[in-house]
Amino acid sequence: MKKASAILAILALSVPAFAQSGNIKIGGTWPLGDITGKQGSMAAQQAVDEINAAGGILGRQLELIVIDDELKADKGAAAIEKLVTVDNVDVLMGGMASGVALGQIPAMKKYGKIVISTGAASYKVEEALGADANWYFHLHPWDYNQGASYAQGWDEIQKKYPAIKIKKLFLAYEEGAFGKSSFDQTKILFGEGGRYVVDGAPFKSAAQGGGDYGSMLETAKAFKPDLFLWAGYDADALPMLEQAKAMKFNPGVYLGAPPGWPIGFQNSKLANNVMLYGMWAPSINDISAASKKFYDGFVAKYKAEPATYFAPLSYSAVYVYADAVKLAGTTETNAVIKALEATKYASPLGQTITFTPAKIIKHQGIKNQKILQWQNGRQEVIWPFESATAKPVYPFPKWK
Amino acid sequence: MANKRNATMNVALITAVAAAILVWRPTVLINGLQSAGLYASIAIPMGLILGIVHIVNLAHGEFMMVAAYITYMLCAATGMDPFVAMVPVALVTAAFGFVIYKLTIRQALKAPELNQLILTFGLAISMTQLANLLFTSQTRKLSFDYVSASLDIGDLSFGVYKFVYIGIALLMIVGLKLFLTRTTTGKAALAVGQNPRGAAIVGIDVDRTYGLVFALASALVGMMGAVFITSASIFPAVGSPYTMKSFCLIAMAGIGNIPGILGASILLGVSENILKAFRGTRGWADIVFFVLIITVILGRSIRGKKA
Repeated sequence: MKKASAILAILALSVPAFAQSGNIKIGGTWPLGDITGKQGSMAAQQAVDEINAAGGILGRQLELIVIDDELKADKGAAAIEKLVTVDNVDVLMGGMASGVALGQIPAMKKYGKIVISTGAASYKVEEALGADANWYFHLHPWDYNQGASYAQGWDEIQKKYPAIKIKKLFLAYEEGAFGKSSFDQTKILFGEGGRYVVDGAPFKSAAQGGGDYGSMLETAKAFKPDLFLWAGYDADALPMLEQAKAMKFNPGVYLGAPPGWPIGFQNSKLANNVMLYGMWAPSINDISAASKKFYDGFVAKYKAEPATYFAPLSYSAVYVYADAVKLAGTTETNAVIKALEATKYASPLGQTITFTPAKIIKHQGIKNQKILQWQNGRQEVIWPFESATAKPVYPFPKWK
Repeated sequence: MANKRNATMNVALITAVAAAILVWRPTVLINGLQSAGLYASIAIPMGLILGIVHIVNLAHGEFMMVAAYITYMLCAATGMDPFVAMVPVALVTAAFGFVIYKLTIRQALKAPELNQLILTFGLAISMTQLANLLFTSQTRKLSFDYVSASLDIGDLSFGVYKFVYIGIALLMIVGLKLFLTRTTTGKAALAVGQNPRGAAIVGIDVDRTYGLVFALASALVGMMGAVFITSASIFPAVGSPYTMKSFCLIAMAGIGNIPGILGASILLGVSENILKAFRGTRGWADIVFFVLIITVILGRSIRGKKA
């Protein structure tokens, strides 16, 4: 009896030690059918391989287990269940669409695993999380962060470059939730205090079977905006420019805010001097060693360029977690949360990631987006000025 | 006599409405006709299959997507213009359509309609997923200067390129009319479409005719896929919205009524653009689509009951 008790005691003592051995498991959910999720998961794997090649963390190797959320909330929720209960992962990572994140939150709350989210911009996700979700670390800016940073960006750009004068702003937005939410935020953030005169019109995105922008562009042209901004998808980018040219619509600033750009967009003559909102571009390699390391590694490993900022963001998520585990000296949740709160990671996005409180959650990573411009086939950063790689070309040239 | 008077009144009414729209807001008519051309030229090949083979091809839009990708690769690799590439692409899609018919559709011709729908729906999903694997979901678009061709009338500047779709739709209608009424194969196809058993009794090879019609429709939608890339971005799911739209336009026109597809498309295109002209109704374009379909089909069935 004494012998059995001793064996049980030894076994019980050895459980924590066993749990802290073997691979450190990262459970990732991305939409693998979409370029954002596909490259996001590839970049996360790249980071895992780099860390493992350098000896791993605490003498343990990292292991990335990826499940395709298929951009569906139910698939995303099921993925969380499986990663936590079957794969027994140490941390959850990834994400892109807000709708999927909303579906995953109940399962995340149930298990309380650390989550490092690379997507989900909608404020509704933050509301669903609530103030108690101290295990949730959100890298991607919220929609209101994005809007506020653009307003700040245009204020600062006009101050630095007095030739740029923006008073009237027109937002063309795709009919779905993404576009409507962008318009609502823009009206609030740019319209407050009468600083800007804001108008807008919806259009059916080519991604949803649309692609005729005639009536929207007619409304925009009649408004005579200084800044024309469209919030849609990559499928809209070139056809909208072609139709704008055909209608001789020439705003001072022509700006797009899709999640990604079509392959070869830069090769079109129409693309030059189009501005865009984003978080990363290969031109940041010129000013950031971390960006160059990420970019060169990605191209060498996959023989393709990272097409959207979700790749460096997902890459950063792995490093942020790895650094925290190293600092904590353990994968134990509370210790890692504490270490994550002390994060100062010089990311490939050209900015250092730290976690500060947002409106509701305690751990918000990036709050600023960037204003960029297509110049001679490259996306150049125009603002924030500390990350700038070129000066803005203004006004958008007249159509020839 | 009464029919002639009705037709004259209809023409007068349509002309009056078109003139009123032109005076009120010319871009509504311009954009409406351009959209109508695109809708019609994609729907007509589907109408041909539905009218003769009597099968709803839910992979119709995906055939166009496949053609668009083939054209894109060809043009990107050789610098060829899509209007030149449409010839080899049409041949490839015709062969592809024929093979698909022989391997799959043919096996389900005598199966219940639900099985046929599931089969073509499965084909659609397979094609989309294969394209996703091969090309990823990132969109592709080639730029051509002529797509931005414009015309100025007073203060009004508008694009004229998309009128090419109206031209293509008219060419398809005339070409199919000539094919179906002036050629032996076309007449055989019409006979098979009207009564396959009767056609078989008089010695027409029904299976061969179905295969040829499927290949011809695939060639036509292949040509449209080639032209489509001039003005639109392509991605694996680009075709699917056009499948449903095409089917509904055929339903509005009446099965077998190829010229009617263009008429239904103009009604839809102009109605959509009338709604887009008002700030409060811009997002209703999809609703008008379903309202029109329900109205036309209901009206037709009520008239049928009275008759």
